[in-house]
Amino acid sequence: MEISRFGFTVSRGEVKNWEGLDLSAAIRILENAGREDPTRSALPPAAQLQSLIDALCDLSMHDGLTGLVNATIFRAALASELDRSSRTGRPCALLLVDLDHFKDVNDTFGHNAGDAVLKAVGAYLKRSVRGMDTAARAGGEEFALILPECGPEAAVRAAARIHGGLNPISVPVGDAVLRVTASAGLAWNDPGAACTAQMLIARSDAELYRAKNAGRRRLSYAPLASTRVTAAEHASLVLSRSQEDSYEP
Amino acid sequence: MSPKPRARRYAIVSGKGGVGKTVITANLAAALAARGSRTLVVDADLGLANIDVILGLNPSGTLQDVLSGDLPVEEILLSTRGGFDLLPAGSGTMEATLLTPALAESVQAMLEKLEPSYDAILFDAGAGIGEVVLFFARLADEILLVVTPEPTSLMDAYATVKVLARRFGCHNFRLVVNQTNPRNPEQSGSLVADRLQQVISRFLSNESSKPVRIHLAGVLPSDPAIGRAIARQKLLQETDPSAPALTRIRRLAESLDSASQPAGECSTA
Repeated sequence: MEISRFGFTVSRGEVKNWEGLDLSAAIRILENAGREDPTRSALPPAAQLQSLIDALCDLSMHDGLTGLVNATIFRAALASELDRSSRTGRPCALLLVDLDHFKDVNDTFGHNAGDAVLKAVGAYLKRSVRGMDTAARAGGEEFALILPECGPEAAVRAAARIHGGLNPISVPVGDAVLRVTASAGLAWNDPGAACTAQMLIARSDAELYRAKNAGRRRLSYAPLASTRVTAAEHASLVLSRSQEDSYEP
Repeated sequence: MSPKPRARRYAIVSGKGGVGKTVITANLAAALAARGSRTLVVDADLGLANIDVILGLNPSGTLQDVLSGDLPVEEILLSTRGGFDLLPAGSGTMEATLLTPALAESVQAMLEKLEPSYDAILFDAGAGIGEVVLFFARLADEILLVVTPEPTSLMDAYATVKVLARRFGCHNFRLVVNQTNPRNPEQSGSLVADRLQQVISRFLSNESSKPVRIHLAGVLPSDPAIGRAIARQKLLQETDPSAPALTRIRRLAESLDSASQPAGECSTA
C-alpha cells in the first residue's frame, strides 16, 4: 500500500497519529507482546504500516507463550487439510497431546514453572514434525499436531515417535528438573467419507480420553483396519459348542 | 558344527491375559535348564510384571532400572531354584506400555551384552498387543503363542498373529495350548491348532507374503498342580514333580531344543 495515495507524507514516528488511522492501540499490543514498534524504525512509512499489520497478524495467529499457532488457526488449518484430503484421497491424521497432571505443576512449582514446561513442549513439538505438519497449542496444556498425507500406519509410527520423545520431557526449573509426561490420542480421516474438523477433533479427543483413563502417559488410537479382527474372522474362530473342548475344572 | 552365534530367543505371547503364559515360561525355563541349556528369562511385561512373584523372589532391582541406566544388568540378575536366571521387571511402573526408541536401543544393547552367557533367552511378554509386546516378539527367533481353548483366548491369539503377520511379516508361530481337557489333551490341542490355522489360512493368506503357519508345539492339560505351585510360589518340579502338566512342559522343552526349523523370522522393519 502506498501511503502517498492518501496524500500523507509522514516523518519518522508520526505514523501513529494519521488522521483516521489511530495506530496507538495496535502499537501498544505489539509493545505488550515484547515486539518492536515498527513506527519507530527507519523504514519508509508504507513499510512501517505493512510491518505493523504483519506483526499484528502474526500475533493473532500464534500463541504468545509457545510460538505455536493458536486454536483458531489450528481449526482453520485442520478444516483446510481435510478439504485437501478429500480432494487428493490421501488421509490426514490428528494427534492431540495433553500434559499429565499439569495443574499440579502450576500449583506446586508456580506458573513460571508451568510456562517453562509449556514452552519446552512447544519447542519439542515444533522440531518433531515435518514442514507440512501443523503444531498448535489447542488450549491450556493441550497441543495438536495435524499430520497431512499420513495414512494410519505412518500416523501411528509418527505419533509413537513424537509421544515417545515427550515421555518424560525434562524441564529445568531453578535447581530442580521437572519431568512431565503426556497422554496422546490419535485419529485419522477416511478420505472417502465426509469428515469435518470437528469430527476428527472429537475422535482424537475420545482416544486422548482413553489414554488418560488407562493411566495417562499413553498414546491411544483406534485399531488399525489392516490388523483389526473382522466379524467374519471372529465367527470362523469361535468353536461351536459341540466342538468346543474347554474343560471346566 | 559352526559355533553358536548367539542365544536362541523365544518370545512367549498370548494376546489374552490369564492363560498361563508366565507359569509356562517359568516352568519351561526350568525344563530347558534341566536339559543343560543356559537359560535366561526376561520379564518383558513392563506393566504387570510378576514372574518374580510366581517364583517367590525379591528382586533388588528391575529391568527398568537397567534400561534407565541406574543399575548395571549384572546387579539385578537373579539365579532361580529352577537353574535359570531371571531379569525381573518392576510391576505397575510408569513405563507400562511405552516403547521409546531409546528404550528399544537399551534393550538391544543389554541383550547383546547378555547373549554370550546363554543358550536360550525367554521373553515373558505381557498380555495384549501393545508396542512393547510386539517389540519383544520381533526380537525373538521363535514366537510361542500360549492359548486356552476359550473363544476369548483364541480371538486374542488370532489378533496377535494378525498384527505380527501384517505389520512385521512374522509367519511362523509355535502354539502351546493350555488348560485343555485332561481326559484328552491331544485332541483338544489339535482342535484349537486346526481351527486357528484354518482361519489364518483363509483370512491372512496373502499372495505377496509367505503363508502364516501355526505349529502345535505343546499341549498342557488343566492341572490342579499348577494352582498349588503358584500358591506356594514354587516351580512344578518342586511341588509336584509328577504333575501331568510338568511332563508336558518337559516335552515342550525337548521339542524346542531339538527343533532345527526356524520359526519367528519376522522382518526387522
